Amino acid sequence: MAVPNFAAIDIDRSKCTIPFACKKCLTGCLQSVFSVSAIKVERGRETNPNEPGTYALHAPHRDKCTGCNDCIELCPEDAITVTFA
Amino acid sequence: MNWVDEAFGDPEFGEGRWYLNPKNHSRQMYKVKKPGEKPAAFGSDPEAQSGRKMGEIMQKRFTDPEEFEKLVKEANAMKEKSPFQIGQVIPLEEAKRVAELSYPVASMSCICRIGARGHEERNEHEYSCTGLGVGMLKWERWPERYKGGVNFMSPEETKEWLTKWNKKGMVHIIMTFGGSYVGGICNCDYPDCGMIRNRVDYGITPGCLKSPWVATVDFDDCNGCGVCVQRCQFGAIKFEVTTEKTNVDQFKCFGCGLCETACPTEAIDLLDRESLPALKEVW
Ligand code: SF4
Ligand code: SF4
Ligand code: SF4
Ligand code: SF4
Repeated sequence: MAVPNFAAIDIDRSKCTIPFACKKCLTGCLQSVFSVSAIKVERGRETNPNEPGTYALHAPHRDKCTGCNDCIELCPEDAITVTFA
Repeated sequence: MNWVDEAFGDPEFGEGRWYLNPKNHSRQMYKVKKPGEKPAAFGSDPEAQSGRKMGEIMQKRFTDPEEFEKLVKEANAMKEKSPFQIGQVIPLEEAKRVAELSYPVASMSCICRIGARGHEERNEHEYSCTGLGVGMLKWERWPERYKGGVNFMSPEETKEWLTKWNKKGMVHIIMTFGGSYVGGICNCDYPDCGMIRNRVDYGITPGCLKSPWVATVDFDDCNGCGVCVQRCQFGAIKFEVTTEKTNVDQFKCFGCGLCETACPTEAIDLLDRESLPALKEVW
């Protein structure tokens, strides 16, 4: 079985710096492709979501992406690229 | 009987269901450190380990889909030794029985919705998840660590709280945190709940077993209003134009009872799954 033609989703983290505060793609994607996690944890505590670089965005369900491009339109920072092979 | 009941149930309690076995409610979810013992490494708990294992397997979807299917099958077949957390859908009335049995019970924010939708639950009016048992006393001490802390509830408050989330349309899932320890009742929905999504989208069964019931419709009582259709998260109900009644596919039904609690004419009943020969092994 060949590897299926899943979307490749690139998130430019130099543009998407405060995903937990912004969350436009997280709430706007019909397929719920994205997730957010804390990357800066101090003494077991998550830190300020408005501080750049404390959270990171991922696309763990990109196998469910249909290529509708809604997230690209929603993103105020032009941080997302969705490509199909 | 499903494999969790076989492994962790006790016929003397709660019809042999694992989540009604008091033993599974009385264990500590964290180990008390003995003098001279080193503290456990951060992330070495069973929950974190299961999360890591799940992550590794899920990654294979993109690199080696055949291997992914194989690993999921293997993990499902390991049953009580499954590397994944164990969870089972239960209807509201069963969740209320757990509220009577478990102590203490505390509500807290849902970890799945934070990750999947960036959805924060900031206080007891918003919390949608519960933790059960003495582990909650630990979390209370570090409110900042467990986002906003926890809110302890009496059995009566827990029942009201469960009913509130049921009305909103959430599926109750009872789950373990390591071994057979009954650690929480979550109020879940697709797609942001990891347990439901992993089962429905990827066939990963241990975290979202079906309940011991299945829905059935009494066509004489059903007025065709369609309310139940909106409640099902498992694609098991369809409104049938021909009969102008609702139709349940019992093979797909998870027995969550959400359709039953919403039906204005009480046309829906929950049947014992094991009373149906074709479904008694369908978990
Ligand atoms: S919409 Fe853009 S900036 Fe906002 S979280 Fe998503 S990728 Fe980041
Ligand atoms: S293209 Fe559409 S389906 Fe794919 S991630 Fe973006 S919003 Fe979701
Ligand atoms: S909610 Fe009850 S009455 Fe309405 S369609 Fe469903 S089964 Fe029939
Ligand atoms: S048919 Fe009813 S009981 Fe079965 S899964 Fe759907 S909502 Fe739950």
